[in-house]
Amino acid sequence: MKFNVPVIRSNYNGFDSIASITVKTKDVWLDSIELDFSTCSFFEANMTAPLYAVIAQLRDDLNDVSIVNVPLEVSTILRKNKFLNVFNQPDSPDTNQTTLPFKIFKLSAGDQFNDYLDIYLNGKGIPDMSEALTKRFRQSLFEIFLNATIHSQSGSGIFACGQFYPNKHRLDFTISDAGVGIRENVRKYTKKLQLDSCKAIEWAMTEGNTTKTDNQPGGLGLKLIKDFIQMNGGKFQIVSRYGYYEFSANNVSVQKMENDFPGTCINIEINTEDTSSYCLKSELQSEDIF
Amino acid sequence: MNNQIKLKVTDLIGSPLCISTEDGQKVFSKIEYFMKDGKQVTVSFENVTMLISLFLNVVIGQLYGSFSEEVIRALLKVEGLSSDDMELLKRVVDNAKKYYSNKKSYDEAWLEEDNNEE
Repeated sequence: MKFNVPVIRSNYNGFDSIASITVKTKDVWLDSIELDFSTCSFFEANMTAPLYAVIAQLRDDLNDVSIVNVPLEVSTILRKNKFLNVFNQPDSPDTNQTTLPFKIFKLSAGDQFNDYLDIYLNGKGIPDMSEALTKRFRQSLFEIFLNATIHSQSGSGIFACGQFYPNKHRLDFTISDAGVGIRENVRKYTKKLQLDSCKAIEWAMTEGNTTKTDNQPGGLGLKLIKDFIQMNGGKFQIVSRYGYYEFSANNVSVQKMENDFPGTCINIEINTEDTSSYCLKSELQSEDIF
Repeated sequence: MNNQIKLKVTDLIGSPLCISTEDGQKVFSKIEYFMKDGKQVTVSFENVTMLISLFLNVVIGQLYGSFSEEVIRALLKVEGLSSDDMELLKRVVDNAKKYYSNKKSYDEAWLEEDNNEE
């Protein structure tokens, strides 16, 4: 079976096109599946993370997935970020060092994720960002990563990938899983079995709401990221099953996707030239907090 | 036995990364044990290189399910946190107080909604 992969960017159409592969291959197993890139003239490197969520599910159903007819320019992108390694194709050196390569992490691999960020966020092509910005960005990535390990309920792992776009002064980092999606967790927790994906994402974005059932407070991670992105002037997207949520300083939008994405994907795009301090002027003491 | 206990987080979890709930639970259990015994506990975050809300929810936030605010104020101190991490902790604590004081109400507003099936 052959499926065309069109131009993919980090936007509604890009995510929906990726999700459409899952819908078209529903109930296919023990088959040979070719993802044909011949009409794909551009593929934003960080979008390999959600693409792999689709592929992970196909592989889970014992399908043999291959990537074919990749135009030279796109092939260069996918080799530099080591995505094609997963399909036994060689990588290319990332001489500009603007890529945080595609990697599959086990759910318990928080330490390896840290090592990965240590190496690739310090690539010479990644601009020197302020200490405060680097810290908030890394904290945000860990919040997303750990959320995925707790909520995805997926044995396929967590797929991560990042790309710096020098002309736009933007760094995108995308973390995806092939798990049950936010909708399933919120439905189970609220006992509202008809809740749709968009509503479930909005519920999860509300401060204090958490689907954890172990009598522990939670539900802050996504809100902290939202506050950070607001100050930074970046962008933040959540795609989970039929839900597409996008947040930036000027805009919040929630849209139902045409196609069902098989898991949850979060993309965070930061403005690397930001010099905000991210700190209140007054210093808090223990007694001010408790 | 000394009435003041200092718990070094990095020693307890064997890592400078304060990210996982399992590690957080280990620290929480120690704090809870000593506070139940009426000891004053100082939690030291010295040498921590990464700290996220998920971890603080378990280590500190969860204490509000076991102790009153007065007891926590009297017995608990933290040290070794940068000013921005202190702000993070404040947010975690405020969230925990809300969570334990009024757990049900978080869901109520949403339970009235009725949405389309996908």
